[in-house]
Amino acid sequence: MNKTLKISFALKNTYRVNSILYALKQTLLIKMILPSALYGVKGLKIFANILSALWEIISTFLGKAVYLGFIYLIVANGYNGAFTIRELFLHMLLFLTVIGAFLNTNLFNPTKEKYYAVFLMRMDAKQYILINYGYAIVKLIIGFLPFMIMMRSMLDLPVWLSVLLPFSIAGLKLFVAATSLWDYEKRGLVYNENKLGKFLWAFVALMLILAGGLPAVELAVPQLVSTSLFIAFVPLGIIGALKVIRFNEYKEVFKDLFAQTQPFTDRKTQAVRKQSEKYISTDTGITSSRKGFEYLNELFIKRHKALLWSASKKITYVCVVLAVGVMIASYLFPEINGSVNHLILNWLPYFAFIMYFLNRGTGFTQALFVNCDHSLLTYSFYKQPGMILKLFAIRLREIMKINALPAAVIGTGMSLLLFVTGGTDNVLNYAVIIISILCMSAFFSVHYLTIYYLIQPYNAASEIKSGTYQLVRVLTYLVCYYMIRVRMPTIVFGTLTIVFCVMYCIIACILVYRLAPKTFRLRQ
Amino acid sequence: MDNIKFTIEHLSKSFEKKTVLKDVDFTFNKGKIYGLLGRNGAGKTTLFNCLNRDLKADSGSFYIEDNGARREVKAEDIGYVLSTPTVPEFLTGREFLKFFIDINENAIRDKRSIDEYFDYMGIASEDRDKLLKDYSHGMKNKMQMLVNIIARPNILLLDEPLTSLDVVVAEEMKQMLRSLKKECIIIFSTHILDLAIDLCDDIVLLSHGELELVEKSDLDNKDFKDKIIYTLREDDNE
Repeated sequence: MNKTLKISFALKNTYRVNSILYALKQTLLIKMILPSALYGVKGLKIFANILSALWEIISTFLGKAVYLGFIYLIVANGYNGAFTIRELFLHMLLFLTVIGAFLNTNLFNPTKEKYYAVFLMRMDAKQYILINYGYAIVKLIIGFLPFMIMMRSMLDLPVWLSVLLPFSIAGLKLFVAATSLWDYEKRGLVYNENKLGKFLWAFVALMLILAGGLPAVELAVPQLVSTSLFIAFVPLGIIGALKVIRFNEYKEVFKDLFAQTQPFTDRKTQAVRKQSEKYISTDTGITSSRKGFEYLNELFIKRHKALLWSASKKITYVCVVLAVGVMIASYLFPEINGSVNHLILNWLPYFAFIMYFLNRGTGFTQALFVNCDHSLLTYSFYKQPGMILKLFAIRLREIMKINALPAAVIGTGMSLLLFVTGGTDNVLNYAVIIISILCMSAFFSVHYLTIYYLIQPYNAASEIKSGTYQLVRVLTYLVCYYMIRVRMPTIVFGTLTIVFCVMYCIIACILVYRLAPKTFRLRQ
Repeated sequence: MDNIKFTIEHLSKSFEKKTVLKDVDFTFNKGKIYGLLGRNGAGKTTLFNCLNRDLKADSGSFYIEDNGARREVKAEDIGYVLSTPTVPEFLTGREFLKFFIDINENAIRDKRSIDEYFDYMGIASEDRDKLLKDYSHGMKNKMQMLVNIIARPNILLLDEPLTSLDVVVAEEMKQMLRSLKKECIIIFSTHILDLAIDLCDDIVLLSHGELELVEKSDLDNKDFKDKIIYTLREDDNE
């Protein structure tokens, strides 16, 4: 028992430590300093171990603090005082606890560590799983306990209840886990918390609506009822724990679970490939009368139309509906016109962030790699410098088209809104809005295609294997996020955006033309 | 007839501290199939990747001698067939060939029709307009081989190409390689000693990061095999 605990800890820790070291190794600058034998370097290992231990502590406490704080913020500020804080808090906690008992079971979460331990290292399945599950439950109680007690006065809870609640939460989890085990024995169905059926999702949605929606219409579970339920969860938990301990078929359950989720990479890669193959249209009417790379590109775009265009089209429809909606609102409630007009003239930087979210760059380049380049890059004719650049230009045109559709609608919609909400003294504003938003979409198109060609982050198994690529993506996000805070007249920001985007596109294309013939390769 | 030689000079490649290719120095001649043998991890794929410029070598060079005139190896000089065939799944066999022929128009000598190529490779007419994703492993392999030989590269690198094929396709491929060798240098990497001895004209060992020709002289196949195994085993003991 003790030994299983030790081994499972060591296993989890090694896995985590090596993941940290691997992530370090994948980052460009650090890659040069670190040796490949870094997994054996003592100092680094200690460092990663400290990070790993810190993570264990943070994951025990931080999540619970945020969770309780979040509920507190909602119950303290969200509703207008028809209930006491205690009543509201218990109401929300009750429904959220029910959701958590289904969505976050730990027992039915097929993780890699479990796979390694039970199937590769052939540890005793029952012992391993019980110890890990027991640890998770204890961690849950220990994580909640201090915050429940600390927040007691804010939430107006009696001491006994604040001590009881962590046990109730754990109790319901155990009971739900036990019912799934009973169900397995009866019907042979394995519950997988990562693959919920439609009914369970509907149930979760219902619980969420009850949690947040009932108080809004001045209804809540009476305090007496919620308290009684929480008390009842404890003996239910004990019943559940007995079942969990007595259950003997964990190995079979996990065999089923892993067959559903395919935790390891080669199977995962196959799954990715299968998934991407599904998107290939089998319509025999698709042909092309073009030649060479234009021929390849046209067939690629036509056969992957659903994959490449559907998101962009959906976004466009939503934007049309939103724009028309605001226009109708401005007609019906003219009093909002002033503020809408002001927003449009001053909030253009915000759209950098919105365009960041709407752009299809990552999806497009991933589709390019998985469905096309992954295979063609193994042929030397495909890697000749002239060929790479020809195809780059064609692809740039395609991704720009895909991104431009919603951008054009957003730009035009904003200009129209500006017009119907009172217009502007400077007519240039209309043009600047449309052009700058189109420029932003062009920027993201160029940006993502450029980093794809310059870094080519995927390996033959279609996994992203470049820390540099991830870093660039995070930086892109941060810069766009920062734009939310920028307040600048639309005419100024718009003009700056246009200049920046044009410059960026020119520089990026020069870089691609210079470097891509060397960088656009399969990662070994 | 062109007399083409492919020479590798002092090629080396290390991954951090591990030297995989130390000093590869060898000349291959047209008209022969070379069997490249080496133990697991000896660096056969690394060597191929360096020659195909998927990996940058640390030092050394390789070049082609065309009737005595030395020149650089261009991308179109090399065909590289991988053990797991990768083909663009969203194209049909015919479309893939058309695309390839389109962009290599100038490089292809005595161009034939697409169906003639299919006939040559033994791909049935009902399969030619199917998407490549629906091709079997063997058919994908044939397509990969076909695309690599249409442009008649001067050097054909084959990385374990026959291991996962059924006996019939493997035999067809062997025949084809034999017929191709008059026109190019074929370097064939494999783990299967019998296959190497059956198909190849010369056996080259990759060991200690160097290439070394095993002289057959007047040995019969059995003694020749023993000699190869002995040489490879010796590496372990040094």
